[in-house]
Amino acid sequence: MDFTSNFIVQLINGIALGSTYALIALGYTMVYGIIMLINFAHGEIYMVGAFVGLALVTVFKVHIIIAFLGAMLFCMLMAVSIEIIAYRPLRRSKRLAALISAIGISIILSNLVNLLVGPKPQTFPPIEEILFEIKSYDLIAGAQINTLQILLIVVSAILMIGLQYIVKRTKVGKAMRATSQDYDTAALMGINVNRIISYTFAIGSALAGAGGVLVGIYFGVVKYNMGMLPGMKAFTAAVLGGIGSIPGAMFGGIILGVIEMMTVAIGLSSYRDAIAFGILILVLLIKPTGLFGKQIFKKV
Amino acid sequence: MTLLNGLLPPYIESIAITVGIYIIMALGLNLITGVTGQLSLGHAAYMSIGAYASAIVSLQLGMPFIFALLAGGIAAGIFGLIIGYPTLRLTGDYLAIATLGFGEIVKSLLFNMPIVGGAMGLAGIPYKSTLTVTFILVVIVIWMMLRVERSRFGRALLAIREDDIAAECYGINTSLYKVKMFVLGTFIAGIGGALWAHKIMVLQPRDFGFMKSIEILNMVVLGGLGSIPGTVLGAIVLTSIPEVLRFSSDYRMLLYGALLVIMMRFRPNGLLGGVDVTKLVKKSIKSITGSNFTNKEKKKVKGGD
Amino acid sequence: MIKSKKIFWVLSILLILSLTLVGCGGAKDEPAPKEEAKKEEAKAPAALKIGFLGDLTGDTAMYGQNTLDGMKMAVEDINGAGGVLGSNFEIVEADHRYDKAEAANIVQKFVNSDKVIAVIGDPTTGITKATAPIINQGNVVQISAGATGPGVVEIGPYIFRNTLLDSVGGPTTMDYLVNELGWKKVALITAVNNDFSVGLSAIFKEGILKNGGEVVIEESVQDGDTDFSGQVTNVKKSGAEVIVFSGYYTEGGLIMKEVRKQGMSDIIMVGGDGLQAPTFWELGGSAVEGSVSYAGFSPEQPTPEVEKFIERFKAKYGKAPDLFHAQGYDAVMLVAEAIKNANSADPKVFKDALAKIQDYPGVSGNTSFDANREPIKSPVYLLQVKDSNWTLLKKVPVKK
Repeated sequence: MDFTSNFIVQLINGIALGSTYALIALGYTMVYGIIMLINFAHGEIYMVGAFVGLALVTVFKVHIIIAFLGAMLFCMLMAVSIEIIAYRPLRRSKRLAALISAIGISIILSNLVNLLVGPKPQTFPPIEEILFEIKSYDLIAGAQINTLQILLIVVSAILMIGLQYIVKRTKVGKAMRATSQDYDTAALMGINVNRIISYTFAIGSALAGAGGVLVGIYFGVVKYNMGMLPGMKAFTAAVLGGIGSIPGAMFGGIILGVIEMMTVAIGLSSYRDAIAFGILILVLLIKPTGLFGKQIFKKV
Repeated sequence: MTLLNGLLPPYIESIAITVGIYIIMALGLNLITGVTGQLSLGHAAYMSIGAYASAIVSLQLGMPFIFALLAGGIAAGIFGLIIGYPTLRLTGDYLAIATLGFGEIVKSLLFNMPIVGGAMGLAGIPYKSTLTVTFILVVIVIWMMLRVERSRFGRALLAIREDDIAAECYGINTSLYKVKMFVLGTFIAGIGGALWAHKIMVLQPRDFGFMKSIEILNMVVLGGLGSIPGTVLGAIVLTSIPEVLRFSSDYRMLLYGALLVIMMRFRPNGLLGGVDVTKLVKKSIKSITGSNFTNKEKKKVKGGD
Repeated sequence: MIKSKKIFWVLSILLILSLTLVGCGGAKDEPAPKEEAKKEEAKAPAALKIGFLGDLTGDTAMYGQNTLDGMKMAVEDINGAGGVLGSNFEIVEADHRYDKAEAANIVQKFVNSDKVIAVIGDPTTGITKATAPIINQGNVVQISAGATGPGVVEIGPYIFRNTLLDSVGGPTTMDYLVNELGWKKVALITAVNNDFSVGLSAIFKEGILKNGGEVVIEESVQDGDTDFSGQVTNVKKSGAEVIVFSGYYTEGGLIMKEVRKQGMSDIIMVGGDGLQAPTFWELGGSAVEGSVSYAGFSPEQPTPEVEKFIERFKAKYGKAPDLFHAQGYDAVMLVAEAIKNANSADPKVFKDALAKIQDYPGVSGNTSFDANREPIKSPVYLLQVKDSNWTLLKKVPVKK
């Protein structure tokens, strides 16, 4: 393999990995945009989504597409209840109080799954049995892409375009944008802010649940602590893109995935995290509000 | 010097030392996050720098413990300056993520440095963090914190936390104060790390992950942001809870998580947030002693305010 | 200034109070006063307590949980057969969620409050080294069922381990790889955040070079990663004939899956005993067929003890045992054996009997302890995955 083909393969690897970050990052950025909360439990919601999908496929033997939708629905309901129980009462308190509450929820979720399923990694049924055979297609210069990568990238893209449509073109989306701009004024304008916040949690978490099932299919493994690391990376991706910005989260995720893969490609795989986070800090120093973030002027 | 050692049963003594180390670490973070209002998610990184630096001083140079302690604090403080100076320009959660990123970078570099043993880490560090040493350091750090809080410096910091733009208008050089505070906070974290290294005797990079930073942050917020007695209480509560919950080994961490949520639900400002402990103590003393309080003493108390 | 001084004293008093409170709270856990205990002893011997030290909720929970399951079965077996010297065994378990400070507290509790006679654990070298000085000082026997790295048993005469050492299995496997399988170009993959993997990789590398092989590429992964596409692409580019991986089964299975996904259909994985678990092929499926690793026992030519163990384990837990199950089981059995040989349940006495054990037919291999108390499992078996099971490739005796 020559340099170009290697580069293209690693680029595809990076985009595929980045798509999973992006799906989780969207939930972070939406919740942050509307109530300024770093929702630490978001990575665990992604993990629960993967387990719900797995249970639906292996125990209830439903079709993978139904399992996919089932996991999204489950995560929606779960996140809305979490918001009502753990975050809503703290909305008027210091922001860090809600953050600690979110950390508590995250600890509860991962330990609950550990208790129910055990610490052993669970296997997703092979993709050949539930969907299709994996095939590889030739791209230019001998580089290849396989059907799983196409699936992951395409489904993520559809979900993100769907989200963009909801936020930009629907009434709920308009209300969301209004609430995120000014919570109190939105309420005065007759927007039911509580309901809009519930919608935000529901949509963001549905995406995380979808991400969980997709990753389960893609890597074939789900584990009780799988939410932690991608959760942290996704949050980083959201900040890299400019937190609160939806396109920022998408590109932030993909950029982070590609940076990681390129680090591996040049033979520095053991410095993968160091370089990814180093670039993040550099970007923030040059552009303190992330790549797509809006400059915030503080009222005096 | 060995006054306290061996006074408690060894299991309790071990927990008490751990509590003491966490009090020191939490007080350091309280200075950054509680007093100055800069959210840091990478406190464990400074702890690890302090721990490794002190371990190297002990193992390679064979110097007395006091030098190891200082080396730990100074090394962490230097990194605090290097990181704090450029990043403290960032605001709010952008700073949080930069500190988180720094924590991951430090961990990643430690894994790749043969001089500190990589994943295998350093072993054979002498056991020096006795209860007496830890207790003395806790007292010194609390005393330092109180001095800072009551000084002109401390009042400037509070002003920065409440409204940094207004503070700037009153002629407070906010970024200078922020950096100074950050360095002091990381210095204390380094001392905590040095104590940790000489209690646990083995250091590995994975001991200082993101969750360790979060654990320390939990203590500060749970106790009450900016409150010194609160932070101390938070560290005591959150370090002892896992031990107290040991009876139900299966549900232990589940209960720990639930307690975090419940405590925040009912005390969103922290256990001692918004409580003036001095006033509380004075009140209770008054109510106990009642009329026995002489006028002279009352005057003295008033004068103190 | 007066005020600040006052607060200072108030805080100091609070601190002392709280420390004593914690002390009083904990004191309740301590066993009944000695006199009562003595009376009971006269009637029926109290159970012999064995501490389980491991992680049940943190990053290494899988290894901790499996060790504990293996230990539980061993205790059941011992008590079912009437116990040792007339006393039953009892496990005291404590989870340290992969936190060294908690682990240190736990062993203080084991040694001083629970009065255990032996501690089994930790499966990782790091926590074993952090706890061994405390246990050794408390005159209690520790057997780590998993610590393979250097510098463990040197800590003291009470510290043992029941594992197949890297320095035994590693060179044997690399010798076979280069000289008998004839692969010279090797891709070496290390889990950089796993001390076991880092240590074993160094031994593997030495073995490869000594036998005239060549490491064409070195890649790093991390325990807990699921995406290995970048590293595998590099391996593909390097033209390696075989992948040598020193980490654990979860990552091993996933790496091989990615290898097949990227179209390398005939390259196999050779690894250490970290690959010894059914999870390896549960995750890897057909991709791990043909993979080679070493172990202290062969499922194909099982001794009667091993056969019985596997059968009963499946009946009890509904799954096949892995390396950690077997080592946890054996660790308890070794303690029982030592107590029987010494005719005493006092760690000061039976530690010497433990060090003298030779050719104990354990389920994790034939175990002896050498003059330095290091375990020797001989012979070493090279095993290969066939139809989702380990089959025997070669039996290599180890010099004692």
